[in-house]
Amino acid sequence: MKLELGYIDIRDIQFSTESKVENGVLYVNKQEIEAVALGQPHIKSAEAFLARPGESVRITPVKDVIEPRVKVEGPGGVFPGVISKVTTVGSGRTNVLRGAAVVTTGRVVGFQEGIIDMSGPGAEYTPFSKLYNLVLKMEPEDGLPQHEHEYALRMAGLKAAAYLGELARAVQPDETRVFETYSIPEGMKKMPDLPRVAYVMMLQSQGLMHDTYVYGVDAKRTLSTLINPTEVFDGAILSGNCVSACDKNTTYHHLNNPVIMDLFDRHGRDLNFVTVIITNENVYLADKERSSDWAAKLAELLGVDGVIISQEGFGNPDTDLIMNCKKIESKNIPTVIITDEYAGRDGASQSLADASPLATAVVTGGNANEVIVLPPLDTVIGDLAYVERIAGGFNGNIAPDGSITVELQAITGATNEMGFNRLSAR
Amino acid sequence: MVKELERTGIPVVHVCTVTPISMTVGANRIVPAVAIPHPLGNPALTRDEEKDVRRKIVATALRALTTPVTEQTIFEVQ
Repeated sequence: MKLELGYIDIRDIQFSTESKVENGVLYVNKQEIEAVALGQPHIKSAEAFLARPGESVRITPVKDVIEPRVKVEGPGGVFPGVISKVTTVGSGRTNVLRGAAVVTTGRVVGFQEGIIDMSGPGAEYTPFSKLYNLVLKMEPEDGLPQHEHEYALRMAGLKAAAYLGELARAVQPDETRVFETYSIPEGMKKMPDLPRVAYVMMLQSQGLMHDTYVYGVDAKRTLSTLINPTEVFDGAILSGNCVSACDKNTTYHHLNNPVIMDLFDRHGRDLNFVTVIITNENVYLADKERSSDWAAKLAELLGVDGVIISQEGFGNPDTDLIMNCKKIESKNIPTVIITDEYAGRDGASQSLADASPLATAVVTGGNANEVIVLPPLDTVIGDLAYVERIAGGFNGNIAPDGSITVELQAITGATNEMGFNRLSAR
Repeated sequence: MVKELERTGIPVVHVCTVTPISMTVGANRIVPAVAIPHPLGNPALTRDEEKDVRRKIVATALRALTTPVTEQTIFEVQ
């Protein structure tokens, strides 16, 4: 399967009477994009804001971050099974507004949404401070149940991203990259001497709005399965998560999965990137056992020489991570796990809830309990009311001068377990 | 909590969903629970069925509490 990504670099975002992309500037008609959001049932109000790198802007509570993309050649469309038909994606050509994003904000669960600071010390911890963001602040109809609220926000965000992505359809990309995977025999013939590597991507699926969607299917109702890495670039996997901000994978993370990117960089050079195994993180022990058994079974069936495993979230998913690691290692396939740590504010506590002597190669995204002081910023998009209750916040964490003390946990993407961040440890 | 209580000489049963974590942290008597968001109940069942599930978990925990163990043991709910 072969996919071309045409990257159109966005260097500014502005409101305008006409939505278009011109000379690297994303112009957005405010009324039109607000109408896109309002078109989603149960959204009572929608207001669009702009947030640029370096501005004194704080966005909170952040629900999702989505990169605008559009399918320009080949079967299917972006966000298959949700925005486009369920047709298999991952081949042809897709244009990307690189440097731009849709950020959705509005209270859903409150304590499980995050903070994006566009400047100051907090900005260093979130990759989204580097983007030209179209922020949609949305409020639901009164009395709407939380899960319907989550659905409405999720859909409105995706539709807004698809609306912006459409503007990229006829634009000449600044850079084009080609990603190609092969069938198993083909790959072995082309790269006979290279080690064969698979990627096990764990998807948050604990339910109660800790969910991920694959071609529109709720991942908690799935068995572990295979997906082509290029399908992920077309939005086959979407975040429906209201879970701790620092280590949830937003839709943006999925679209730009750095493990997949790095494996492709070395594909055909010093390894053969065979495919991606997706597996869930459910709340029943039997599901955890079954899904990890299945991930190990698929790795064995593929006959790979090594596996990289990335986690999403923390706490009981640490057990899914360790089960995947142990069971794949038991098939004599070496693994590397990517996780993050909840090692206490001083970093002295046990980092993961579960452990195994077989987990000998670990990459960390950092300690989510580390404390940071975020100085006041001029503008807040969203609502500061949740900052005390946000996961990683605490009562009285807003000082009289307006500065906020939080654990890194509260910052969107700070300790991402795909490695889409700058923290780690040796 | 389990280990600190047991250190005082009182036997403890850890009723929990993710028994591998309980094993890792060193509980001696472990009883599997239903699910992480609802360890001792099951909203998918009727009230009567749920009561039965709860009674079985508690009965298993009491059985575990009165059973001598020489190593970490998981008592499956019958």
